[in-house]
Amino acid sequence: MFSRAAIGRQAQRAASRSWQHQRRGLAEPASGSFQYQVGDAQGVKIASREIPGPVATLALVSSAGTRYQPVPGLAEGLERYAFKSTARRSTLRIQRESELLGSALQTHHSRENVVIGAKFFQNDLPYFVELLAEVAAMTEYKPHVLHEEVYPLMDLLHKKYLGNTQEMALNSAYGVAFHRGLGVPLQPPSNLPYKKYLDADNLADYASAAYAKPNFALVGNGVSQSELSKWVGEMFTDVPSQASYQFKPEQTKYFGGEERIAHSSGNSFVIALPGSSSPTGGFYKPEVAVLAALLGGQSTIKWSPGFSLLSKACQDTPNMFIDTKSTIYSDAGLVTITMSGSASDIKSSAPKVVEALKGVSQNIDKEAFAKAKALAKFKELEYGQETSAAMELTGAGLVHGGKAYQIDEVAKSVDGVTEEKVKQAAKDALEDKASVSAVGDLYMLPYAEEIGLKV
Amino acid sequence: MSVPSMANFIVKRPWLSRWMVPLSKWYKDAAGYRKLGLRSDDLIPEENEIVQLAIKRLSPKEAYDRVYRMRRAFQCSLQHQLLPRQEWTSDEQDYQYLSPIIEEIEKERSEREDLESMVIKKPQPGSKVK
Repeated sequence: MFSRAAIGRQAQRAASRSWQHQRRGLAEPASGSFQYQVGDAQGVKIASREIPGPVATLALVSSAGTRYQPVPGLAEGLERYAFKSTARRSTLRIQRESELLGSALQTHHSRENVVIGAKFFQNDLPYFVELLAEVAAMTEYKPHVLHEEVYPLMDLLHKKYLGNTQEMALNSAYGVAFHRGLGVPLQPPSNLPYKKYLDADNLADYASAAYAKPNFALVGNGVSQSELSKWVGEMFTDVPSQASYQFKPEQTKYFGGEERIAHSSGNSFVIALPGSSSPTGGFYKPEVAVLAALLGGQSTIKWSPGFSLLSKACQDTPNMFIDTKSTIYSDAGLVTITMSGSASDIKSSAPKVVEALKGVSQNIDKEAFAKAKALAKFKELEYGQETSAAMELTGAGLVHGGKAYQIDEVAKSVDGVTEEKVKQAAKDALEDKASVSAVGDLYMLPYAEEIGLKV
Repeated sequence: MSVPSMANFIVKRPWLSRWMVPLSKWYKDAAGYRKLGLRSDDLIPEENEIVQLAIKRLSPKEAYDRVYRMRRAFQCSLQHQLLPRQEWTSDEQDYQYLSPIIEEIEKERSEREDLESMVIKKPQPGSKVK
């Protein structure tokens, strides 16, 4: 039973909380809206949502990811070169100034986008809009900065990548599934790209296209739309309004196949199936998200394998990592089942995984389906609430189709998924060729043919 | 390491430059490095971090040419000879290829030192921000 003192403390806390509620003015909103407001300032696409709290996030999302790079290594080079010396400020000054303001600069790149942004106190918005404008329009691409600061970093990342079989298997599966475009590995798989292709001149060319008005959007979290559009209108005047060349928006085609790579430390096995595009794209299938949740693999609760089909199928091999992800891009997507662990575990579980997948196309347990739907919706909403992911999706949506990523609508579409649709999605995926990639001990790791997949 | 220069001071004053330009021409000629095919920037002592970094930042062509000039000059010096007259460094060839890079690096370093020794004053509550 609860002790008296504990109840007393709870009660006090509850009382103080209710008092705080009363202190808040009635006119203030209880929570910010999840909806992004979309706008345009001097030809720059902007989106923002107001979230109560002192910290704001601003990101420049440019559709210059690995998918669109004309030669390898450019997207990563562009990301690593962000916040380096500009015509007005040196690298060091940018770092120190942003440290003094108590902010964090962050950059990352994905297959479709390069995101450069910052987290900062709301009052500092003008400073960071100016900084991003400077990065976009005034960065000086110099060979010695590449040699001294960018290449060594890429070299280390490349070494890290070579040690990670899971990452290698995933990238290889993408390569097998989409060949060029989306299939280009996220990180250079050898040091060839930055030794041979990446230099200051073509990086400057790429940057002038990536930071041209039609190719990027500014997304703010915790900033007001009027403030943002005012400052963007003032600062983003030097950004070119026409791209020097267009990123080719070719419709992605799914190929499928198998790739096997020998590796002495670690084993990973990836089965990938064609999936759904993002809601802002044309091939959106919410049932794929439910299918991924239903297959699952990782439990969301402690001390239990969870309800998901793959965690049940792989109960005999608890030391093996298994997870299903539905990754969405603007015009295509991929459902990836990743297995990582000892080669014998993978050998014994891989056929069971395929069995489970085939089982879904025949018949789905009602209760598991309800759980999967709830989990898919939860994941979607959680993902959308997490600022960085939502900002990237919103920015990409704006650049490609002028639509922002609204999680409320996405959650609604997950509600409409039926069992039949999921079965159909599984059946379609199995009819297509699968993309299978094995990295590790190739003597033990099975071929796709052996576990009953068509490649 | 860059050296203090009075060039700007002199160029701004035509009467002074009328005096100094022929004098500098005579001096450069008399210094003799041009007769060994060197440029004035080749004479900068390179045994320190800043110049080493600057040499690394040269374009591959510049770096190659620099080494070539030095080896040729060294050979000439060993043989107690001068280059044939047509191979002497001309006025146009004797431009500053290294000094601007050195100055840039020095600027970076001094900026870093300034920022390290910066004193941050937090505005006190109640005091007016200037």
